[in-house]
Amino acid sequence: MTPAHFAFSSAFMLGLAGLAFHRTHFISALLCLEGLMLSLFIALSMWTLQFDTMNSASLPMILLAFSACEAGTGLALLVATTRTHSTNRLQNLNLLQC
Amino acid sequence: MAPLIYSALIISLGLGTTMTFASTHWYLAWMGIEINTLAIIPLMAQNHIPRAIEATTKYFFVQATASATLLFAGISNAFLTGQWDITYTPYTLTSTLITLALAMKIGLAPLHSWMPEVMQGLNLLTGLILSTWQKLAPLYLIYQIQPNNPNIFIALGLMSIIVGGWGGFNQVQLRKILAYSSIAHLGWMILILSFSPPLALLTIIIYILMTFSLFSSFMLTRTTHINSLSTTWAKIPILTISTPLILLSLGGLPPLAGFMPKWMILQELTKQSLCPLATMAALSSLFSLYFYLRLSYAMTLTMPPNNPAGTLPWRLNPQHNTLPLALTTTSTICLLPMTPAIMSLMPF
Repeated sequence: MTPAHFAFSSAFMLGLAGLAFHRTHFISALLCLEGLMLSLFIALSMWTLQFDTMNSASLPMILLAFSACEAGTGLALLVATTRTHSTNRLQNLNLLQC
Repeated sequence: MAPLIYSALIISLGLGTTMTFASTHWYLAWMGIEINTLAIIPLMAQNHIPRAIEATTKYFFVQATASATLLFAGISNAFLTGQWDITYTPYTLTSTLITLALAMKIGLAPLHSWMPEVMQGLNLLTGLILSTWQKLAPLYLIYQIQPNNPNIFIALGLMSIIVGGWGGFNQVQLRKILAYSSIAHLGWMILILSFSPPLALLTIIIYILMTFSLFSSFMLTRTTHINSLSTTWAKIPILTISTPLILLSLGGLPPLAGFMPKWMILQELTKQSLCPLATMAALSSLFSLYFYLRLSYAMTLTMPPNNPAGTLPWRLNPQHNTLPLALTTTSTICLLPMTPAIMSLMPF
């Protein structure tokens, strides 16, 4: 495993742990999701630099487009949750339990 | 919802799955899956009630995490092998990570906890799209991975069959029951995937037919609870005959079509000399049969002259197109004699 691979893998794992273990606020989960996407952006940029290929040079930009769409969707859901559940705390999402 | 927006979202759903089906590069596959996720979110949240928004939020988080993990595994695979090809995953770490990310996408145990709650918050049509169309793209990718050891598939499959059966025991909400049934059937599918991929394809096709007919029956009578099932005889009496047969087909009883995938899977597992696994899978699917029988009981055996279990609802004129229901119900009930023909089409 090259140092670059290790770097973005550990960044991804930290972001994933943050997303899995967030407990209080909705927006901290969205931030961790953005962190995941950022580590993937770095990974794809490193691919082009390390392997010296122009074949997949546009992949980071397309990832940025999809990540922006996802972030927009997440924020829209944050606004919708705050409208219907009156708070962005995650313990309020309890309407659907058995 | 405005017709233009609605049609744009439906077309995007089709586009996403088609992109994933047409791809051999991990990136394009990931893009198709992302488009699918983004397109179904407005469909889920369209009526803006709190339950729907909560279901959409939970679905969004799970699917976004799984997509990011899938792309991370694809990029790691590319760094390790130098290839972006979907079918080339020689390292156990990356193929396991891909399998787990895709398992989280389709709701296999132990990554299934979002599925009943999300299904509960949606209306029946969106739930149908969620449990049939949204499974196709990730299943195609799982099909393509061809890992070197089948142990993870067997573990995921057996756990899903058990969880799908056991979890549905105490449920009275129909959408949660359908979610657990989806978990169990996908467990059967992934159990056989490493031994005979054509049988997995057969399982998913038969499952889509059965689920479509069940969801359509529930959509016709607008029932979402076992209590309202008992008034089916007053609304559309023919459904008290067809829906129990669909439910028993989902439970895998011969001579209905749901028996076909289970029979073929058990036969294939026996040929691979995995008899204890086959026994455990077959016995665990008895759990699912129990709650399907409970639904059939509520629908058919609570009619007059027994004491009616629910008050009589209004008999409104149903404005539904019942042709898909008719076609899929017929296939669900009558397809078992076609087994030799279907088996001869499968490349072994």
